Amino acid sequence: MNGAYSGWLIGAALVLALVSVITAVRNRPMGPVLLAGLGLLELAVLAQAAFALADLGHVTEKATFIGYLLGTVVIPPAAMWWGRAERTRWGPGVITVAAFTVAVMTGRLLQIWNAGA
Amino acid sequence: MSAHSGQDRGGEAVRSGPGRVLVAVYGIFALAATSRAAVQIATRFAEAPLAYVLSAFAGVVYIVLTVALARGARRVAVAACVVELAGVLVVGTLSLADSAAFPQATVWSGYGSGYGFVPLALPVIGLLWLLRGVRRS
Repeated sequence: MNGAYSGWLIGAALVLALVSVITAVRNRPMGPVLLAGLGLLELAVLAQAAFALADLGHVTEKATFIGYLLGTVVIPPAAMWWGRAERTRWGPGVITVAAFTVAVMTGRLLQIWNAGA
Repeated sequence: MSAHSGQDRGGEAVRSGPGRVLVAVYGIFALAATSRAAVQIATRFAEAPLAYVLSAFAGVVYIVLTVALARGARRVAVAACVVELAGVLVVGTLSLADSAAFPQATVWSGYGSGYGFVPLALPVIGLLWLLRGVRRS
C-alpha cells in the first residue's frame, strides 16, 4: 500500500463528497458527473486493494484490514445503485455518505498499514 | 394482517427521501460494528468479554435497524432506535466510569467518540425522522 496514493484517494473521495453535497443542496438527482466520479472512485479503490493485497504480509491486523478493504470496494457500486433508484436530492445524499465513508475507511487502512510497519 | 396496508403507505414514507440516507448510514454501521465485534470475539474475547459482547449487540441492533428502515417497518425501527439510544448512553457512561472493562473501544464507547459521535446522533435523528412520518400520515 502506498501512503501518497491513499492520501490522494482520501482527497478525491472528499471532493466527491463535497460535489454530492452541493448537488443535494441544489436539489438535483445524481447526474453524469457524480456517476463518473463514483466510477473513478471505484477504480481507484480497486487499485488500492490490489496494491495492499499484493503486500499483505506487511500487516499484522489482517482480518480488520481485509474487512476495510472489502468495505471500500463494495461501497461505491452500492451508492451508484442507490443514486439511480432515488431520483431526488437524497440520492446525492447517500453518495455523500458513501464517499465520506470511503475516505474514513482509507484513513483507517493507512493507520493499520503504518502500525504494521 | 390489517396493519399491512398501513405499513405499506407508512413504509414508503419511511423508506424514501432522507430515509435512504439513514438506511445507508445504518447499513455502514451494521457492517462496521458487526465485523469489528466478530474480529474482537474471534481473536481476543478473554481480554474484555463484556465490551465485546456489547459490541456484537450493537452490531445486531444496527442490522435490525437497517432492515427495518429499508423495509419501512416503522414500529420495529422505532423500538430499535430506542434500544440503540439507551445502548449508547449506558455503554458510553460505563466506558467512562469503568474504563478497565473497556480496554478496547467499541462503537458505543465514550458515547461513540471513536466514530465522530455519529452513534449518539444517529438514534436521535432516526427517531425524529420516524416520528415525523407518523404525524404526517
